[in-house]
Amino acid sequence: MDNLIIEGTKQTPSINFNAGSGILEISGRSIPENTFEFFNPVLLWLEAYSQVAGEKTVINVKLEYFNTSSSKYILEIFKRLRSLLNDGKDVNVKWYYEEDDEEMMETGEDYQDVSGLDFEIIPIEE
Amino acid sequence: MEKENIYQRELENLEQAKNFLKRSEYSKMDIQLEYKKLVENYEELVDQVKIITKISDRLQNKLDKTNQKLEKTNQDLHDTNVKLNETIDALAEARIGRRAATIVLIVVIALFVVSEAWIEPIIEKNIQNFWIGLILKLAVAVLIKPGEDFTNKYMLKRARKKQLMDNKVVMNKP
Repeated sequence: MDNLIIEGTKQTPSINFNAGSGILEISGRSIPENTFEFFNPVLLWLEAYSQVAGEKTVINVKLEYFNTSSSKYILEIFKRLRSLLNDGKDVNVKWYYEEDDEEMMETGEDYQDVSGLDFEIIPIEE
Repeated sequence: MEKENIYQRELENLEQAKNFLKRSEYSKMDIQLEYKKLVENYEELVDQVKIITKISDRLQNKLDKTNQKLEKTNQDLHDTNVKLNETIDALAEARIGRRAATIVLIVVIALFVVSEAWIEPIIEKNIQNFWIGLILKLAVAVLIKPGEDFTNKYMLKRARKKQLMDNKVVMNKP
């Protein structure tokens, strides 16, 4: 299965999903003009990945800001990962936030509550 | 178009429920199953709306905070800029003042030399009046200060005009 690599821009996050290692990374800012266009390939990739995923999947989330529609897709990503967990796989979410960014920390906690995934909420020192 | 895609699954669920209503007949079992599905979908939707609204509000708050920080930084920059301009103006005025004093001094020395070497001998020779020479020298001495002020004002005016022109050139540059 191919890895999914999308270069980040000022409006879209960078995506680096490695099917072989099971390490997925999403970072940057997410305010795309067309959220569906950006996230649909990501969700489709995750669907395909769920068929070949190894025992352990780690997703590193390093987002600094995202808009409302992106928040729906991020929730969707976690739901897809949740289904991996339901299949007996190990899924770990590493949610990074800037040390003084209280909002992003609390957002991570909310996603943790709603997704039922194992979250590590990690501050990044400036 | 985009909205339809974002809520594709939700719209599909809604369509399914509507189609069920259009059916001419259904068993109790069918109703139970459909209702259960509808409740599950609704529950998921409510959960989704709750979390998205919460996150959205929080991130809007973050945006507002960043905006306030930016406004403050902007104001600070403006204040610093004003102070800097005042300092630059004061420095320029001092420099111009020194230059004006030098010019006036040179003019006074020149006038003194001219009066000693040229005008005074003429007065002594033709008018032979001690007071006229003295009055002339006094007039030169009295004119020193107004002369310096005038030169200073003139040079400041020119410097400001030049600065204005320079600013216009900078602003018109693409």
